[in-house]
Amino acid sequence: MNHILETKSLFHDFSGWEVLFDVNLEVREGERHAIIGPNGAGKTTLFNVITGMYKPSQGAVYFKGKDVTGLGPYALSRLGMGRSFQITSTFERQTVFQNIRMGVLSRKGIRFNMFRKVDGLEDVTRETEEILKRINLDKERDYPASILSYGKHRSLEVSMAMATDPDLVMLDEPTAGMSKDETKYAVELIRRLTEGKTMVIIEHDMDVVFSIADRITVLHLGTILASGPPEEIREDQRVKDAYLGEMEE
Amino acid sequence: MTKRMAKWVSWGFLCLVLLVFPRVFGIYYSNVFVAFAIFAVYSLTLNMLLGYTGLLSFGHAMFFGTGAYTTAIALDRISGMPLLPVVLAGFVASVVLALILCPIVVRVGGTAFAMLHLAFGQLMYVLALKLRFLTGGEDGVGGFPIPAFSIPGIISVDMTNPLNFFYFAIAVLGLSTWILWFFTKTPIGSIMIGIRDNPQRVEYMGFRVTHTKAIIYCLAAGFAGITGSIYALFQNLISAEDGYNIMVSFGPIMATIVGGVGSFSGPIFGSAIFSIIEELTSRYTERVELVMGLILIGVILYAPMGFMGVMGLLKQRWLAARKVKLEGAK
Repeated sequence: MNHILETKSLFHDFSGWEVLFDVNLEVREGERHAIIGPNGAGKTTLFNVITGMYKPSQGAVYFKGKDVTGLGPYALSRLGMGRSFQITSTFERQTVFQNIRMGVLSRKGIRFNMFRKVDGLEDVTRETEEILKRINLDKERDYPASILSYGKHRSLEVSMAMATDPDLVMLDEPTAGMSKDETKYAVELIRRLTEGKTMVIIEHDMDVVFSIADRITVLHLGTILASGPPEEIREDQRVKDAYLGEMEE
Repeated sequence: MTKRMAKWVSWGFLCLVLLVFPRVFGIYYSNVFVAFAIFAVYSLTLNMLLGYTGLLSFGHAMFFGTGAYTTAIALDRISGMPLLPVVLAGFVASVVLALILCPIVVRVGGTAFAMLHLAFGQLMYVLALKLRFLTGGEDGVGGFPIPAFSIPGIISVDMTNPLNFFYFAIAVLGLSTWILWFFTKTPIGSIMIGIRDNPQRVEYMGFRVTHTKAIIYCLAAGFAGITGSIYALFQNLISAEDGYNIMVSFGPIMATIVGGVGSFSGPIFGSAIFSIIEELTSRYTERVELVMGLILIGVILYAPMGFMGVMGLLKQRWLAARKVKLEGAK
């Protein structure tokens, strides 16, 4: 079995406060993997450690079979790992077009070019516009990101991660704070954008999780409680006790 | 197409104005204009850090001073130095200083960045005063020969003639302005703006923030060096007070804030406003700083986006008013 992402007995603590405890996560190539767990289970911290924001205090992260422990976000992005944020993190003063264009520049490896105008790079403009059409934001092309509606702003957030053309994309609660309709639309968008890619998603909405995920990992008190296909997780007694049961009551 | 034509026409007009400026206004005001242009372009280099990358420096004078001292010392010590190479030397020296500081300063932002620059800037000030054998201490370096602008065998223009120097200074500063403006329009320029707004996201999109900052930093330093170099040639004197003093660092910050932090041309307007005020108030009082300080307070309180912000607002109102009028006419 080919694992695109693997963590080996990952530990992390914030000045002694243990947040991750012996986490062994395995993500197979091409799957949609959901991470669920109650608040404070360490989901976002796990994301931050995997994507290079924090160095783990112990253990290792393997991406595409390579040990990437301690590499910074920019290096992981170049290796093909994309990430979106739980708290919307766009370039708010810039237009939707410019937001997406950053990702296109990145995927093309244009990082230090200072001899051509960026508006004159026709292939970059074309690709950016194609993406805008795919994510239905072409009408909002020249609006600053800050004036988008909440749902659209969240779609932009996810789309920026996808614009760098990653092989593995890590989505941190992409539907957080959305209305029912917005959620439905966002799930559809995510499904469409991540076609043929590997996705790891943190999600609170169980309907979303069970409709989108091929496999689910349950994180509880900083450690993995269970990991498997949705049916298995639904029936798992420990998961019911720790998490799902509470929700149904 | 007509828009493009209008652009070219207005640029042509500007060039024409600059060309006839000394003949219409005379040498005194030409020199005032050169002093303004030096300060304006110097402010632009600060705005590359402050307005475009979100880095506030309290020690930008060290690049201005280093450029100025390098040019002055080169002309003072080495006989027969040609004009363009000494200006280039000012650029290179400032870039070298920036490269030395880079490894430390690109890793920090905000207050730490500002304070580190305050420290390094003051260090350079003290060095300029203490390294007497090189900098002449408090007297500075002055009276060095100003070389002619010459392309061997073709042309040789005497630069001690203020009229010729006016054209030379405006050409160099104009070219510098164009390069800085072009830079903001390039891919790395758009990454620079991204770093100002959200450095974390830039990093997560595969760009290395520290390296990008380093390039911008060196560029800003280098062109600040050029303005310093032109200043030294213009005054035929550079001292620690004019080159490295803390006020030389604060001047462009004030000009940028008054002109408008968010725009490219803001610092130019800010410098113009300051130059005019300095020219006017110095006729009546010596307390020029007092007037400027009051203006700065007024701007921060009532127009935080500066001159360009106010202009943008007026334009919006005018457009809205016109729209109402047009709709009323229907």
